[in-house]
Amino acid sequence: MLDKLFYKEKGLFLQSLHPLAALTYLGTLLVLALAFTNPLYLLGILLVVALAIRAADGLEAWESYLKIALFMMVLVMIINPLVVHAGKTVIWQGPHIPVFGRLTVSLEAICYGAAMSVRLLDIISVFCLYNLIVHPDKALNLFSRFAGKSVLVISLATRMFPAMVREMENIRSVQQMRGVDFRKGSAKEKVGKYSSLVNILLLSSLEDSLEIAESMQARAFGSGPRTCYSRNLWRPRDTLFLSGSACALGAGIWGLLHGFGSYTFYPQLDYLISGPGTVALLLIVLFSLSIPVLIGWGCGRWHYLKSKI
Amino acid sequence: MVKAISNDKPNPMLKILFPLFLIIILGLLLAGIKQENFVARQGWGLLSAEIMVIALAFFYWGFEQGRASSREIALIAVLAAVAAVGRVPFAALPNVQPTTFVVIVSGFVFGPRAGFMVGSTAALVSNFFLGQGPWTPWQMFAWGLAGASAGVIKMICPGIGTRGMSVFNVAWGYLFGWIMNLWFWTSFIQPLNWQSFLASYAASFWFDTFHAAGNAAFYLLFGVGFTKILKRFRRKLIIRTIEDQAGSLPD
Repeated sequence: MLDKLFYKEKGLFLQSLHPLAALTYLGTLLVLALAFTNPLYLLGILLVVALAIRAADGLEAWESYLKIALFMMVLVMIINPLVVHAGKTVIWQGPHIPVFGRLTVSLEAICYGAAMSVRLLDIISVFCLYNLIVHPDKALNLFSRFAGKSVLVISLATRMFPAMVREMENIRSVQQMRGVDFRKGSAKEKVGKYSSLVNILLLSSLEDSLEIAESMQARAFGSGPRTCYSRNLWRPRDTLFLSGSACALGAGIWGLLHGFGSYTFYPQLDYLISGPGTVALLLIVLFSLSIPVLIGWGCGRWHYLKSKI
Repeated sequence: MVKAISNDKPNPMLKILFPLFLIIILGLLLAGIKQENFVARQGWGLLSAEIMVIALAFFYWGFEQGRASSREIALIAVLAAVAAVGRVPFAALPNVQPTTFVVIVSGFVFGPRAGFMVGSTAALVSNFFLGQGPWTPWQMFAWGLAGASAGVIKMICPGIGTRGMSVFNVAWGYLFGWIMNLWFWTSFIQPLNWQSFLASYAASFWFDTFHAAGNAAFYLLFGVGFTKILKRFRRKLIIRTIEDQAGSLPD
């Protein structure tokens, strides 16, 4: 059950990226999703991420992410119209409520709520994509050059997590063999049984930690300056995707500074497309962001391309 | 002669680091109030995420600069794994989990820096298995702060009893939710006024109450036992080296 969301190596094209290229790509998607307010741009990003998730064979994992997102989306859609009084086109006027004043629901606030739910979907889907294409160890390896100790703590804990779940089961079955029935007894007795379970887990894992420390010491941990070894390959595709991300980010920031990509909701809704510039910039950003998906699709069809890139 | 090697020697770098990070964060906040400049135009959703990442980087840098022994590193990793595993069996109950309690007790016994590392590592590692999301950095920050503040409270009033710590646990149930709400509020609600603030916080009230009640229950049930076990291991962490006859101490 625990391995459901953990990274799985499937030998996919998107999983073969250098972690720096992959993290830059995901970071660009995230920053643009948080920076753009134009619904068209937000929908465009969602489209790109959805295609990438499909290319990473992760539609099933995406489903469980969407379930989490749904609750928050409903909240966004309810809170925005109810508390915001800035919209001009009032659809419904409600009773007077002490703290919030008169309840008014305006068209603008509903549209804003809808756009923000798309942003929420964007962000959550980007993280789903991260889970699918970046192995935790690869990402940690990137940071181990300048934050060795923190990364060591994190990767040790990541290793121990599944081991500890198994350990918990072991302790439980040993206790059951010794005649402890976890289902019987009053609430107080049950708590006592579980508390002994937890205490044993804590004690035995802390004892283990001392052994880990001794074995680290035996392997000369902390005896001198650290060296670092990386097995990640930097291939032409990584350069290509890195420049794609840089292009999308540059175009996005340029657009935001010149009024493209942002959208005014209050007091009255603006035009979605305020000129040919809006569409042109959207296409540039979407194209640069979809380079990994396109190349991945091409590599699946054309082995010559795969061998060269 | 017996000399104890303690691991918490203040590093000169930290003295420059703390004001530096504080100035950067305050500068971003102040620049965000003015509507026109570049900082404010990117919106509070992005700005709050940037401030969060800077604060996390500061804490991690502090840990890197400090002198952590191999025992400390292994211990922090194990405690973080215990805290992270605690999230799993209770996944069905909303917000009731022993993670906050384990983080607070670790911070209380091993000090603010270890407390922060246990909290933030537990958040990151459990999310490798339960799903990384935009909530990850905020959880890392909130749990890290819970651990660090528990370490600080031990320094301020070391004689705080079981009752005081239960109150502290309850308080963190709400504080944790309030920190997490900031993300939701700044990213998806506009305009940012006190009505929308109140509405977002009211929406999470019951979840935070469950969290707080769970924390208090876990602390009252397991708190004393956990603290006793951890204190025993803290004593094992301290290494004493006995100087030889010539009086020279190998480093």
